[in-house]
Amino acid sequence: MIETFAALAHGMAVALQPMNLLYALIGVFLGTAVGVLPGIGPALTVALLLPVTYKLDPGGSLIMFAGIYYGGMYGGSTTAILINTPGESASMATALEGNKMAKAGRGGPALATAAIGSFVAGTIATIGLAFLAPWLVDVAVKFGPEDYFALMCVAFITVSATFGDSPIRGLTSLFIGLTLGLVGIDKLTGQARLAFGIPELLDGVEVTTLAVGLFAVGEALYVASRRHHTEEKLEPVRGSLWMTKEDWKRSWKAWLRGTMFGFPIGALPAGGAEIPTFLAYSTEKRLTKHPEEFGKGAIEGVAGPEAANNASAAGTLVPLLTLGLPTSATAAMMLAGFQQYGLNPGPLLFAERPDLVWGLIASLFIANAMLLVLNLPLVGLWVRLLAIPQPWLYAGILVFATMGTIAAKPSVVELSMLAGFGVLGFLMRRYDFPIAPVVVGLILGPIAESQLRRALAISLGDPMTLLQSPISATLLAIALIALVAPFVLKGLGRFKANED
Amino acid sequence: MTDSPSRATPPAASPSVDRAGLVIAFLLAALAAVLVWDASRLPAGAMYGVGPGAMPIVVAVGLGLLAIGNLIDALRGGLPPRESTDPKPVLLILAGLALLIAIIAFGGGFILATSALFVATSAAFGRRAILKDAAIAIVLTTLIYLAFDKLLTLSLPAGPLERLL
Amino acid sequence: MIALHKRLFGAAIAFTLAAIGPAFAQPLELKLMAPAAPGGGWDQTARSMQQALVAAKIARSVQVTNVPGAGGSVGIAQFVNSAKGDGNQLMVNGFVMVGALAMNKSPVTLDQVTPIARLTEEIQVIVVPASSPIKTAQDLAAAVKADIAKVTFAGGSAGGVDHVMAALFAGAVGADAKKVNYIPFSGGGESLAAILGAKVTAGISGLSEYEGQIKSGKLRAIGVTSENRLPGVDIPTFKEQGVDLVLANWRSVVAPPGITAEQRKTLGDAVEKMVKSDAWKDILKQKGWADAYLGGDAFADFLKKENARVTDVLKSVGLVKS
Repeated sequence: MIETFAALAHGMAVALQPMNLLYALIGVFLGTAVGVLPGIGPALTVALLLPVTYKLDPGGSLIMFAGIYYGGMYGGSTTAILINTPGESASMATALEGNKMAKAGRGGPALATAAIGSFVAGTIATIGLAFLAPWLVDVAVKFGPEDYFALMCVAFITVSATFGDSPIRGLTSLFIGLTLGLVGIDKLTGQARLAFGIPELLDGVEVTTLAVGLFAVGEALYVASRRHHTEEKLEPVRGSLWMTKEDWKRSWKAWLRGTMFGFPIGALPAGGAEIPTFLAYSTEKRLTKHPEEFGKGAIEGVAGPEAANNASAAGTLVPLLTLGLPTSATAAMMLAGFQQYGLNPGPLLFAERPDLVWGLIASLFIANAMLLVLNLPLVGLWVRLLAIPQPWLYAGILVFATMGTIAAKPSVVELSMLAGFGVLGFLMRRYDFPIAPVVVGLILGPIAESQLRRALAISLGDPMTLLQSPISATLLAIALIALVAPFVLKGLGRFKANED
Repeated sequence: MTDSPSRATPPAASPSVDRAGLVIAFLLAALAAVLVWDASRLPAGAMYGVGPGAMPIVVAVGLGLLAIGNLIDALRGGLPPRESTDPKPVLLILAGLALLIAIIAFGGGFILATSALFVATSAAFGRRAILKDAAIAIVLTTLIYLAFDKLLTLSLPAGPLERLL
Repeated sequence: MIALHKRLFGAAIAFTLAAIGPAFAQPLELKLMAPAAPGGGWDQTARSMQQALVAAKIARSVQVTNVPGAGGSVGIAQFVNSAKGDGNQLMVNGFVMVGALAMNKSPVTLDQVTPIARLTEEIQVIVVPASSPIKTAQDLAAAVKADIAKVTFAGGSAGGVDHVMAALFAGAVGADAKKVNYIPFSGGGESLAAILGAKVTAGISGLSEYEGQIKSGKLRAIGVTSENRLPGVDIPTFKEQGVDLVLANWRSVVAPPGITAEQRKTLGDAVEKMVKSDAWKDILKQKGWADAYLGGDAFADFLKKENARVTDVLKSVGLVKS
């Protein structure tokens, strides 16, 4: 423990040199600038900017790298809030309430709670990383396929928080997503499903294509179709540009809860960032004292998922640093970042190169703080982007949205899918079906299916394996309680009402 | 902008049948049928555990039930009220997207393709200064192209304009 | 997800390449296709070739294009159809494409392309968790023979090199390859977690991926698939343990169909010159790839044999209909 502190202090001393602080600032700036392009999430941002750091000395480049990483993360959330275009699936939950806030002229507080929440969550999770990593990783590898399946069951229940008013409509959206998740080569047997002989479909539906299509393109079509109704005039700032006392009060608990979901689930090798963000969203929706604001721009609905997103990113560093396992796209980029310093993450890293590990962790702290320093003053500027005349604003959004797909997979099939999902998003908005469950279904469906089938293959077809694992049994019990509890509570409430 | 009377829908209070709801229910049932058909031509299954055909059947059953649920909702007519929409701007944006895909497919390059989309979209939102918008679009997309191609070396499709750069 | 992060490596690499030296006046202007998203093994091979060909002044310019999709099935279809007879085009491919084409019932096959050369290979390893009672290849063979269903192998995608290897192992020890209980995991270390957590009996992968875990003692290597012991690898081969299992995950480069013998020679010479260049040797060292250069007709022969072997194995495990 003492050594940990000493090592961390040494890392801090290096990171706090003026030149290194400047590198951190440049890194955060570049990361934010590229990260705000829709369809370009933090992972791609880091990939694109990684070479910029090659020219610096190891200490400086490590710090700039950390800055780019955090800047990219924050940039992804900025587009989710401002123009309803999540840069990656993990900032989708942020878009749900964040964009509603921006439309109501509360984009400033939304961006601020995202930035401060990211800082708080990043800081707590980095501390967790420093002190809990070796212990946490032992727990993480104990998660087998059956346990992941049980975790997915919990996640499926929480998705209902995104359903809106009608369960039938919410489930319809979810099942459309599950159907899209079936497209492509079956991971376990290599058989093609729903590909109709089109080779481009064999790799399945890309989450970013679906999310950008449904959210950005669908939104543009919908707004265009109802222009004659209400000449929707976006007011960038209504009320305070900054978070009010009330905003703070509603945000801080959400930040902490989001961190509690994000860090441990991010540390699981197949945990990911989407599940904790949705868990955080649904938790905030259940616990809030302002349920009427959800769906119209509730600040805790931004604070929780953003904190969870950032904490899970720090969580993915646990298996990365201790096992050398890159468990997400961003972690894979981090791995590439380490390798440029001749650093090979793995079981021996903490023992062999403590200086670099602690240097990195110190850099993460500094970059996180720098993000706040740079971005809070910029909030006002970002929000004013919404003041661009509507024709140009939406034309620009569509150009940036298609650009992500063109850069990643410039095929006619992929672009047609983007347009098709745009139409789907438009029709779903028009006929009042919620959008988010479609993307959730696409993400969770294939994971749940393949983990269940892996578990059954290992157990030779015996479904009891789901109950024999203590982790899985516990999670399934939680899922069952979460499913039944609302009905029971309602029943009790009615019972009581009858007694009176 | 004109109102389109064809899309006008009955107010929420009237318990008349919702036609769009019927179509949605029918589409869900059709989707379920496609899943079952697709699953039926998959080989019998895996050596151990569950084969690739199981999940599609589960999803198909779910879609089938939801089709019935949506059908009931539609027949009851208790759907939320809908405002009329103007199909013209939607079609204009879709035409822009189609043009973008065609230009990319035939090697017209990134700048022309995204500029076409930009102009179509801004026209859909009521702008009539097409030449001015085209100029803005070409400048904007050229800058994007240069930033990606030269600074980030992420290759975007090149056409006649890109080769001049 | 995985596809995305693979793509990212490529973008990063591409950037470094742009920084490398000016082009020199040389006759060859090549187009090189990586039939995968930026970042994966084939893309890295293509971009490394680009780097070496230009640095060694063998080609004036090399343009890398990525056509991802279905283990290379999308790329090779485009390559065969649109590059036919073009003596300035090349495509990177490898072991995985053989299986992918067979499994996806691709109308285009590797018989249609013009083989140029094999470039690199990586040997494969079977590992077990440190706590496993299995210590040698013979122990694993005994377990497989006792009850093949209970021996679970974790590895990469269905029909890939790891899967083929599991089937070959079962066949080599006299068990029914059709009954191998192989559990495919999506990349990114998910299978490593399953092995470390002892959720499966054994794991299969390229050696470099698990090297750190083996050295730290968290995993025990049962055997490697090289013909002879490799320098610096302190793991017995399967062959010396009495299991006839020799396999390598190779990568190669091919030309379009319908090129002239002269064009084929030009391309073959260029690749041979590149393989011998210092630039290429540096890249191999840096990436930890083993040089496995095999040119001309010898490679054509090799490709044919691997094609037959892999297709047989995939038929035997029921992934390809015979």
